[in-house]
Amino acid sequence: MSSSLPNFGVAQPGTIAEAVAACVSHPGSRFMAGGTDLLVNMRRGIVSPDFLINLSGIDELTAIAADAQGMTIGAGVTIASLARNAAAVTQYHALAQAAAAIAGPGHRNMATVGGNLCLDTRCVYYNQSEWWRSANAYCLKSRGDTCHVAPQGQRCHAAYAGDLAPALLVLGAEIAIAGPKGRRRIPLSELYVEDGKAHLTLADGELIVAVHLPPGAPASAYSKIRVRGAIDFPLAGVAVALSASDNAIVSLRVALTGTNSWPFLLAGTDPFVGQLIDDKLLHAIDRLVQKQVQPMRTTLASANYRRVAVAALARRLIANLGGTAAA
Amino acid sequence: MTSAPGTGGKLARRGVPLIDGIEKVTGRARYTADLDHADALVGRILRSPISHGDILSLDVSKARALDGVVAVVTGDDCSHTYGVLPIAMNEYPLARGRVRYRGEPIAAVAAIDEVTAERALGLIELKVKQLPAYYTSEAARAPDAVLLHDDKPGNIERDVHHQFGDVAQGFAAADLVREELFNCAEVNHAQIEPHASLSEFDPATGRLTVQTVSQVGYYLHLMLAECLEMDTSRIRVIKPFIGGGFGARVEALNFEIVTALLAKAAAGKVMMRLTREETFLTHRARPQTDIKLKLGMTKDGRMTACECQVVQRGGAYAGYGIITILYAGALLHGLYDIPAVKYEGSRVYANLPPCGAMRGHGSVDMRHAFECLVDRMTHELGLDPFAVRRANLLRAPTRTMNDLVVNSYGLAECLDKVERASGWRERLGKLPPGKGLGMACSHYVSGAAKPIHRTGEPHAVVNLKLDFDGGVTALTGAAEIGQGSSTMVAIAVAETLDISLERVRVIAADTAVTPKDNGAYSSRITFMVGNAAIDAAKRLKSVLTAAAARKLEARPEDVECLGEVFRVGGGDQSCLSFADVVAAALVDEGAITVKGTFTCPPEFHGGKHRGGAVGSTMGFSYAAQVVEVSVDDATGLITVDKVWVALDCGHAINPLAVEGQIQGSVWMGMGQAMCEETRYLDGLPAHASLLEYRMPTIMDSPPIETDIVESHDPYGPFGAKEASEGALAGFPPALVNAIANAIGISLNELPVTPDRVMDALIQRRRQARLAGSLKAVS
Amino acid sequence: MHKHSPPSTKRLLKLKLNGRWREDAVSEQELLVDYLRDVTHLTGTKIGCDGGECGACTVLVDGEAVPSCITLAVRCEGRNVETIEALATQGRLSRLQSAFHEKLGTQCGFCTPGMIMAAEALLRSNPTPTDGEIRTALSGNLCRCTGYVKIIESVKAAAGVTS
Repeated sequence: MSSSLPNFGVAQPGTIAEAVAACVSHPGSRFMAGGTDLLVNMRRGIVSPDFLINLSGIDELTAIAADAQGMTIGAGVTIASLARNAAAVTQYHALAQAAAAIAGPGHRNMATVGGNLCLDTRCVYYNQSEWWRSANAYCLKSRGDTCHVAPQGQRCHAAYAGDLAPALLVLGAEIAIAGPKGRRRIPLSELYVEDGKAHLTLADGELIVAVHLPPGAPASAYSKIRVRGAIDFPLAGVAVALSASDNAIVSLRVALTGTNSWPFLLAGTDPFVGQLIDDKLLHAIDRLVQKQVQPMRTTLASANYRRVAVAALARRLIANLGGTAAA
Repeated sequence: MTSAPGTGGKLARRGVPLIDGIEKVTGRARYTADLDHADALVGRILRSPISHGDILSLDVSKARALDGVVAVVTGDDCSHTYGVLPIAMNEYPLARGRVRYRGEPIAAVAAIDEVTAERALGLIELKVKQLPAYYTSEAARAPDAVLLHDDKPGNIERDVHHQFGDVAQGFAAADLVREELFNCAEVNHAQIEPHASLSEFDPATGRLTVQTVSQVGYYLHLMLAECLEMDTSRIRVIKPFIGGGFGARVEALNFEIVTALLAKAAAGKVMMRLTREETFLTHRARPQTDIKLKLGMTKDGRMTACECQVVQRGGAYAGYGIITILYAGALLHGLYDIPAVKYEGSRVYANLPPCGAMRGHGSVDMRHAFECLVDRMTHELGLDPFAVRRANLLRAPTRTMNDLVVNSYGLAECLDKVERASGWRERLGKLPPGKGLGMACSHYVSGAAKPIHRTGEPHAVVNLKLDFDGGVTALTGAAEIGQGSSTMVAIAVAETLDISLERVRVIAADTAVTPKDNGAYSSRITFMVGNAAIDAAKRLKSVLTAAAARKLEARPEDVECLGEVFRVGGGDQSCLSFADVVAAALVDEGAITVKGTFTCPPEFHGGKHRGGAVGSTMGFSYAAQVVEVSVDDATGLITVDKVWVALDCGHAINPLAVEGQIQGSVWMGMGQAMCEETRYLDGLPAHASLLEYRMPTIMDSPPIETDIVESHDPYGPFGAKEASEGALAGFPPALVNAIANAIGISLNELPVTPDRVMDALIQRRRQARLAGSLKAVS
Repeated sequence: MHKHSPPSTKRLLKLKLNGRWREDAVSEQELLVDYLRDVTHLTGTKIGCDGGECGACTVLVDGEAVPSCITLAVRCEGRNVETIEALATQGRLSRLQSAFHEKLGTQCGFCTPGMIMAAEALLRSNPTPTDGEIRTALSGNLCRCTGYVKIIESVKAAAGVTS
């Protein structure tokens, strides 16, 4: 039940190229940004890289700027500075809301945008000490053969619980990635796949450099379910971006977190365009969310609760953004 | 025995900061983990990976052979059981033969560093034969269940059957009889300081010094002597600063004994710091409890009878379990006047970490059920909750049917205060949708009148030392754990002697220096140690008065003591400073040591029936509270907007600390009510972290408006009673009653987490739909 | 606790600690909290959990409140680290320390250093916070004794903000 960290080396690159090179030359190494997720997991013994590449000394990663072309947020920007960034607060409201609701203020001072996007998936059978996991024959996500959440299944159901991703998804974010093969830019949605064991599509040696948001964002909001008003990861969270005209939907995007192994955009919202934001529509949204989320027993709060509550939140956000009373 | 109420009062009226507060705010306070352990070995414990099984073999030879390992101990190194209750010690510090819960200590290692100690644990080879494991009371009580302890048939630690008054007649006289089931989750103290212990054994002198987080250094001292087979005179237990207790540390704990065993085996010094997870595994907290409660009430709100069945899932070993199951029944009495009470309690063994005592010991879950059911019946009868409480008040002094003595009783005033402060009459029923008000009452003992160990000694002893420097040093075994007990002792001494608080120094809880004290539990310190401190100070005062009289050539009864000045008649020439008097008192005698004691007389020791001592006390505290909530029916999330609480603590010796204790206890009740629980997955703790064990953050915590009621207990120190536990039990029912008021849903499970609230809402919608469709059909 | 450990990579860490520059050889994997407690013997910073859950270890790094139990010491190279021990100057309690003492913002005291450091970071950037701002700033710091009521009163008293 040790709480100390095993031996490992640390590289302190000053540039992205150095960081990538360090990663390539140390197989099994990990990038570390704020460390608020990684070091906790390392203290628990659930991951144990023997080499860390500390990204905190790379200036390029901490740039943040907004102009007519949109907003660019360096992956190393801290959650705290994102939460108070004027452009985020005024134009990308869901993003600022999501940032302000992450963990506690101390974590937000350390944790970064890139780190939050790459947050490891979570499960009550996974986020435990070495003694605990060993007594439970480990699990499919790490060192074991069985997913204790769905023992008959073939995949790991650990849930993704990052707050920023759904906000960025509804705002149409793209991410810039650097790696051994150079740089690439992809829609944020392509960063994730629905697999609790390997939910990120980043190749070895790749890291997120920045997030790009298009200009002219519609009104947006983020909200999450958690038992306490701080510290807790979301049991489920939802972001909505909505533009409306005469109480009719012009565009609508809904994204979810905490319910699946990946954050995802709600599919099938196009038919809502042109519809009035009324009880009937809100009911349809509720049904759609409940149908697409797949919470499993990865948290102690029941899966059904997460499903029902996140649908209710989606409905409420849309009603509020549409200017109608919550239904 | 009786103290005059309202003695002194200069300090008491304004309240004083804690005398050890400056160390805490500057970071200078040394808690166990902060003590110098540069030269200490690191202790680590190997814990059972299984819930229930026989140990077939335990091979520590490889661990012992590892370079850097100095000592390895196992169950073979200690054949003595430990515990607090002499009749219920069935636990070894390290398992012998059988393991009964996941996390039970099996072996321990002392090594030169943490890495080596960890590696050594990994080299220990354990072979076990698994046995069926039981995680619920029901499973453990099944007829074919394997016994956890051979001498405990049915896996029952204790069954209690108490009946007072004629229950059948009581229910017959009722206009309304209701029965409901309640279920309260297991909760934990979760004090912020993880467990730690530093033990040093000196082979040259054969002495053992233990510095540890204990609330009960004396009991630990006894257990160390027993388990290490040492003479008690060679042991010293010192309490450093302690980061909270709440009952977590009111019995000797396995890791404390294990650390000492390691120190002895290593012939040196061992530091054991448990992780948060291990601190949770050490547990000893409030058990998961099932309650079936039946109440009878007349249409004007008089309670006619109460029948209560309580089943507590106690975990794998006895601990304080017998006391807990007895408290739940005993404290059905003493709050209201109920003519007939029947209680059936069962404490059940299960393959989980042993439960123990937690703030409000034994009373909280039972009180929750009681106050919820009273509220529901009140509404069914169209009555007001305050009026119903007022219709059932006791009249002090009185003796309850189960022989508990109520000497002072400020509940009526508590009710008046919170009713007024909360605007109950004006606001109830007029709040916006989703908002509600609820209320409840509660009480608790000020120390157990009949002590656990019946040695015939006083319940508390305080020594005072006064020497050439003019400083008064109070020596008390009472464990200051953040509740302000040392400050209370200092105030009691200063007030009685009428000297400045700064002149008093308190040395607490060092078994080599301070007189024996049973420790910080059952809210005994203010009442018992406070009385002993006053007694000691009075004796010192008479020594000083006599010395002043000699010096002034007057009769002692003519000497007037005015703060730090002694005089006769009022003339300046017949006036002595404190220093003069001390100098005079030291002549021929030298340093002055006086002793004060406090003993609860036998008439307060409770009933003669089996278990009748539990619940006995000389002073009950009383509390009433009103909780205002908002319920979000889309997410099931509850917000507590405000709490109004009034507590009768007899007399507030330190109003600042009393307020802090009331707020803290109400808030702890809130945690249990709203979000705290310890569940297990096949016996593995699912909440063994401060992330999953969700104690409320500052975001979740409401303003708590406190009002102190002073009923001036005839036996309490300056009239004081306890203040830190009584209000806790009222919060959960007041919350659940407020939720019922807000959304019309009655919840019978604690905690009322959003998923549970949502389940209830969904169920209600379903029932409404069903009712609607039935209507449509008919 | 690490000083007896088998040799691990060590590097020279230079940082400003409580107003004074110092250099120490530390292991790469040394957590800031262990460095503070075991190397510099500043034990005012507490450990209450197994990592990042309770806030008891909160210290200031370049003026920002951070949990030192999930911060590597080597990340503080060249930075300004402040702990609870830095607040009292020449034995005089800081305003926050006085207020926590006098208003009983501390009971058992174990969360207190972290709580005061989080409050210190708040008051430096926002000298007259509202109740809501105080709550937000302290929302990562758990206290088991006070119910937070007197903690909020203490911060307000230190800030000179009346209810």
